[in-house]
Amino acid sequence: MNDMHLALHGVAIKKHAAATVVAGAVGLSEARADSLLKEAATGGRVVEAQGGYVLSPAGRMILDNQYSRFYGELRADQAFVAAYDRFERVNVELKQVITDWQTLDVGGQKVRNDHSNKDYDAGVLDRLGEVHERFEPILAQLIRGLPRLAVYRHKLESALEEAERGQVQWVSDAKIESYHTVWFEMHEDLLRVLGRAREE
Amino acid sequence: MAFELGPHTLAIDGSALPDKQLIGGKAWSIARMRALGLSVPPAFVVTARACTGFLESGAMPDGLADELARGIAWLEEASDCRFGGSGRPLLVSVRSGAAISMPGMMDTVLNLGITDATEAALAGATGDARFARDTHRRFLDLYARIVLKAVIPDLDEHATPADWRKVIEDAGGAPVPTDPRAQLLAAVQAVFESWNSRRARRYRQHHGIPDTLGTAVTVQAMVFGNLDEQSGTGVLFSRNPLTGERAPYGEYLARAQGEDVVSGRYTPLPLSALGAQMPAVHAELLTAAATLERENGDVQDIEFTVQAGKLFLLQTRSAKRAPAAAVRFAVDMVNEGSIDEATALSRVTAEQVRTLLSPRLAEGAAAAADCVAKGEAACQGVGVGIVVTNTDEAERRALAGEAIVLARATTSPDDVHGMIACRAVVTEQGGATSHAAVVSRALGVACVVGCGDGSVTALEGRLVTVDGASGCLYAGALPVVAPDENAEPSLAALTRWAEARAPLTVLADGGPDALDLTSVDGGEDIERLPALIAGHGCVRGGAIASDGGVRAALAAGVRVIVASPRLPVLLAALEATREQA
Repeated sequence: MNDMHLALHGVAIKKHAAATVVAGAVGLSEARADSLLKEAATGGRVVEAQGGYVLSPAGRMILDNQYSRFYGELRADQAFVAAYDRFERVNVELKQVITDWQTLDVGGQKVRNDHSNKDYDAGVLDRLGEVHERFEPILAQLIRGLPRLAVYRHKLESALEEAERGQVQWVSDAKIESYHTVWFEMHEDLLRVLGRAREE
Repeated sequence: MAFELGPHTLAIDGSALPDKQLIGGKAWSIARMRALGLSVPPAFVVTARACTGFLESGAMPDGLADELARGIAWLEEASDCRFGGSGRPLLVSVRSGAAISMPGMMDTVLNLGITDATEAALAGATGDARFARDTHRRFLDLYARIVLKAVIPDLDEHATPADWRKVIEDAGGAPVPTDPRAQLLAAVQAVFESWNSRRARRYRQHHGIPDTLGTAVTVQAMVFGNLDEQSGTGVLFSRNPLTGERAPYGEYLARAQGEDVVSGRYTPLPLSALGAQMPAVHAELLTAAATLERENGDVQDIEFTVQAGKLFLLQTRSAKRAPAAAVRFAVDMVNEGSIDEATALSRVTAEQVRTLLSPRLAEGAAAAADCVAKGEAACQGVGVGIVVTNTDEAERRALAGEAIVLARATTSPDDVHGMIACRAVVTEQGGATSHAAVVSRALGVACVVGCGDGSVTALEGRLVTVDGASGCLYAGALPVVAPDENAEPSLAALTRWAEARAPLTVLADGGPDALDLTSVDGGEDIERLPALIAGHGCVRGGAIASDGGVRAALAAGVRVIVASPRLPVLLAALEATREQA
């Protein structure tokens, strides 16, 4: 593993993010991420715009070609891959829970959930908590294989706790690190690490 | 008093309403329905006091097993069924029930009481051996997961109960007791233990709920909608939850159990099918719905089962409703004299009115148009724009002011920035739970998913209209209209009532001296509003008309908001006032 790869990987996961955010996502120090991304910008691998970084087409190609090299050992780690397969099964449930959070079934028709029905919301949040608890041992196994994934544990927990406190936007708001935002970034991270394609 | 079976257990016979703290919300609701003379499957409850005792001492209260036996005997008598024996079998559900519902409590265990012997009896009673076997499987599955807390694989539908028990034991679970009375005691204890689950403790801590309250456990006889031709199951809304029309609305499945409705294996019939087959039951159901609506002061969503020609109400709650129905329920119930205006206003949200007033395809526009792709409707709304398949290009052009529709095979976190900027998002793969669907709904962007490989990316460069309600993409720009809040009498009534109570004035236009946030840097950012609007008495534009904007305006002492439509702003202001109270 090298730090430049991690920095580019962080930009792929956290598009348009500042160096501090990229650092937090992949476990680099802020100073290190900042200097690496400046170097990458000079080398034409990333482009800086409005304080955030995106990969250049060349940067993207270089990054995509590095995964198999850096994660070859992990891809052969049976415990890690088995944990990933369990994650994919939980992922199906999680997506359903998030969808149920966003939509109400009213007499067979789907309408937008405006969160005025507290009982309904409480039921869905309870299910989200259940899915989270079932995912915890799986994540622990993934972290044993790739320690930097621990960052997701903290982010998922804090999003869940915010939601349980009544801050409804922490379930699926796309503009903050809501439970779904973090879950999806983690999914993207795992897909890249393992060289898998997303299946919807 | 619901009569005592012992110091820790009450039979719910409807003779009086016990303390909700003691018996929990679920049992309280059953007791209340029985007190109203409605037909509910018989139930008894282990009180929260028994739970407190268990939590203090770590042991089940003395004599609880005997009390459970007396409770079961009472259910047997009331239902004319036998628990764990031959003859018509008594199966029960076991559920947690604190006075305040909270996450992390034990899920409901269903079909407790099924054994090899009772499975045979159930098969005989229903004439459906497959159902009896499946009931047995579902019980073992729930018991293993919930009570034994074992992580088990799915139980193979074609295997035998002995196989399933072995799978559970092999998966590290304790053996499932063969005696249903032992199962019941273990299930009750599991409910008590769930009071101290990590999530329940965290929730109580956040909400200042004492850890000493404890939870009650409700044990209720199960009824079977698949017993014979005079049986079935269904859902009834006391009014139409889609349109708001004052007419009962529901579905009925003859000869089916509740899970059949959920599974989608059967097509439900309209409620009139029940009326045609069993008019007396149908009439009783409608009377019960009217009673529950009147007693609860709101439209009800009622789950029911008919067992051998007898009606049982399983659950009632305030109905979920579409925006149009929310408005009509509220206004109609005021006109009928059943709720006051303030209550009506608390039942319609700003978001529901915004949805009702959001732009839609003009009447008849779709009929004449060419549908160039069709998928699953994932987020309502209409988006007109040029199809772009490269997310970065879509974002760039959208930010430059072009109307863009983003078309992708699938989306990933990499695409979110483009999705934020576009008028609509369409994908080729994935369904209602796909990333594109979830993110679009979170953003409120019109979205159609799963249009099929090659379907929408091939439209690159074309002008299309995406209808997120029907799931269709139409060629060209179809006419779009926004409903008028003043033209609709029920919205006008709500506006009048809201104006009389709102803590600030909302004008549709005017306010020449208003601060216009549209021309202020950061005016779209709720976080920055407090600093920007401080000291201004009248504000318009930017994010001021959103729920967060209205809250900020109230906090800053703004007296007038200029926005159209007005009703959502008024409702948001009333909501903010209620939150503070």
